[in-house]
Amino acid sequence: MNILLLLIPLSLLFLGVAVWMFFWAVDHDQFEDLDTPGLLPLADSDTRPEISPGPPPT
Amino acid sequence: MCCQGCLAAAEWIEQLGLADYYALRAVPGHKPDAAADQAAHDAWQNADNARHVVRDLGDGLRESLLLVDGIRCTACVWLIERSLSAMAGVVSVQVNAVAQRARITWRDSQIQLPRILQALSRTGYRALPLDSRGLDDLRRIESRDALKRLLVAGFGSMQAMMFSSVIYVAGDSLEASTRELLRWLGLLVATPVVFYSARTFFVGAWRSLAARRVGMDVPVALAIAAVYVASLIEAFRGSGEVYFDSISMFVFFLLAGRYLEMRARHRARDLTDSLARLTPPFAERQHEGGFQRVGIHELRVGDRVRVLEGGIVPADGVLLAEHCRADEALLSGESAPVKKKRGDALIAGSVLEDGPVLLRVERVGADTALAGIAALVGRAHAERPRLQIAGELAAGRFVARVLALTALTAVAWGYFDPSRAFSAAVAVLVISCPCAFSLAVPAAFTRALGVLARRGVLVVKPDALQALAESTHALFDKTGTLTEPTLSLADVQMSGETSRDDALRLAATLARQSRHPVARAIAAADTGLDERAVTQVATLAGLGVSATVSGRELRLGRGDFAMAGKPLSSEYDDAVLLADDAGLIAAFRVNERLRADAGAALDALRAQDMTVLISSGDASAKVAAVAERVGVNAWRARAMPADKLAWLAELRASGARVLAVGDGINDAPVLAGADVSIALAEGAELTQASSDIVLSGGRLDAIAQARDIARETLAIVRQNQRWALFYNLSTVPLAALGFIPPWLAALGMSLSSLGVILNALRIGRSMPAKTQTAPTSVTTSTHEAVA
Repeated sequence: MNILLLLIPLSLLFLGVAVWMFFWAVDHDQFEDLDTPGLLPLADSDTRPEISPGPPPT
Repeated sequence: MCCQGCLAAAEWIEQLGLADYYALRAVPGHKPDAAADQAAHDAWQNADNARHVVRDLGDGLRESLLLVDGIRCTACVWLIERSLSAMAGVVSVQVNAVAQRARITWRDSQIQLPRILQALSRTGYRALPLDSRGLDDLRRIESRDALKRLLVAGFGSMQAMMFSSVIYVAGDSLEASTRELLRWLGLLVATPVVFYSARTFFVGAWRSLAARRVGMDVPVALAIAAVYVASLIEAFRGSGEVYFDSISMFVFFLLAGRYLEMRARHRARDLTDSLARLTPPFAERQHEGGFQRVGIHELRVGDRVRVLEGGIVPADGVLLAEHCRADEALLSGESAPVKKKRGDALIAGSVLEDGPVLLRVERVGADTALAGIAALVGRAHAERPRLQIAGELAAGRFVARVLALTALTAVAWGYFDPSRAFSAAVAVLVISCPCAFSLAVPAAFTRALGVLARRGVLVVKPDALQALAESTHALFDKTGTLTEPTLSLADVQMSGETSRDDALRLAATLARQSRHPVARAIAAADTGLDERAVTQVATLAGLGVSATVSGRELRLGRGDFAMAGKPLSSEYDDAVLLADDAGLIAAFRVNERLRADAGAALDALRAQDMTVLISSGDASAKVAAVAERVGVNAWRARAMPADKLAWLAELRASGARVLAVGDGINDAPVLAGADVSIALAEGAELTQASSDIVLSGGRLDAIAQARDIARETLAIVRQNQRWALFYNLSTVPLAALGFIPPWLAALGMSLSSLGVILNALRIGRSMPAKTQTAPTSVTTSTHEAVA
């Protein structure tokens, strides 16, 4: 059962990282618009201008 | 290609090699206003104007939030983002198609707002700035917070479930130290769920207690706090049961329901809070011989303002020009333009049919008639009956009983067997936790809101579902609600030997010379092409048109004008006449056309045992005719908003629950004063803001469907509550007597919640959404006389 002592902290670490990543995503507008990005790959272009993923510094 | 703007946009799209737009767009594009107000954009440079709409982000960055008119689908979004972010200096562009908003950030040293707006209008979209610090920010914060809370609760409950399932499954074979470790781990993952995710419940409970009410959040918060504290004590004592898994799942279920409900609410609001569109952001003020574009907030009483043809009057004022026609449909709900002459009052928000005209500003801002109506709406809101209080009181009593029972159990067991007192009390608290009870309403409502939204019925206030299901009377407005917003030719009455077609052809030839709505209706009724020479055209405002067609002098218009003073029988009072020097040729009557689905929609409501009533500001003959066509016996004509409110009060005094359906601003007080109100989305935006439910797509038959779904929802809510009650009544005694171990209590609580949610998912199953109603030809194709 000693393996638990390694695996459980590891799972909690993963959990923490997952929550942190999700918070980052929410704060960077990844969930603001769920329709538009799905269409973008259909426009077969390499010239899509750079759109900053994050909110501007406030 | 629908217009010049589209053509320009299309050429521009081609040039840039963006032809994908046409491949991607899901619905035909929006037809932009031909007179796209280019000059308006320059006014944004004015620092005073800019202060209201531009936010300085520091570091040379500026941000503005725009309400973009005409975004229909994601292809529009793609086009806007693409075209704007290609410009040098634009840092980011985010467009939300559902909310019709664009948030644009730019570097002030490289580009200014006017150029961005110009680029936007070149693509065919009209942008209206919103207050950057306004509603949108609040909504974004609310929705982000909710998403984060939901996720923490979801992860937390998964982990807690994992840890406790080990305890459940392994049971006594587990080493004491491992068991201890798992309990502490459960505490570790449940703590953020309780203190972060569930904080909204504690805040809500505190707020309702501070207002001396027992809201739905109170039992939930109490249950969460009690079970958490109990589990915490057990964890420290190292004996008994812990419920970290149940508490996390409970929070997760509740938050999931609330999140979906919030999303549906925001979606409905996005479509409605477009008040910014009612008054123009700019006015043209006379200034040292010329005209200067100024922001509407800069107007002062006494300013002289020019309004162009098709323009919107920016403030209440007095007409200085000789005469004009103004469409006050926003204000009165009636579709025919009103004639104005020098010295008449013009009302902010009305649209000029001809121009340009000059007017002197009399009242601005909060003093305008529009603002007055808004205030009336607000007052009517305050008088709205609060049906929800009953439910909250029931929940409050429920919690009080649960707490009493828990205390009783603890005391009784303390008397007989103190060692089991705590676990029995906790079992009672857990098993009778108002989880299923508090989920019963939101689960069903969330599902119902989603089902309704897919049918074009947007519920702005969730309370409205209950009121809709319980409504007994439906009070309809006529103009624009039961009828199409545009006029149509109803009847041609012949006099003399000219054939009907010839008379119509002649009349249409004359009518094309005028922009009067009645003339347009006559012109639209004649589909043929006319090659005949028309000379000596004279349009006399308020009277009619005269012209010489193929050498024959004809007059079309009011009786005394067309007949040039010859005596005329009174039956032609309400008609438009076509006459030459020899006398009357034909009489035309124009009426509003009933909506295709009006008859069927009202029949469907009557089939549900509702009483249908009509109240209109129009002449009684017209209202009577419409009422007869749709089979309504009870109607009132020439009704002012105050009259409509009085009738409403009368009906409600006699015990009726009234559903009001309307579209004009004229209806806004009535809509707000009714038990439940429905507005048609193509109507004026202000009404939608004051209505409980918005019908997008203007399909009246959705009302009966919506009422069916609302009734089904209430039935499901009642089933859910009964089920929760049955579950509690049958298990609580067993738990109190100590027959149910707390882990089984937690399982029972989760299963009862699951049952409630699955039951709620049945809403709308039996009524598949109709894709499109078949046009009911009876009411549309025959242009019977209504007048």
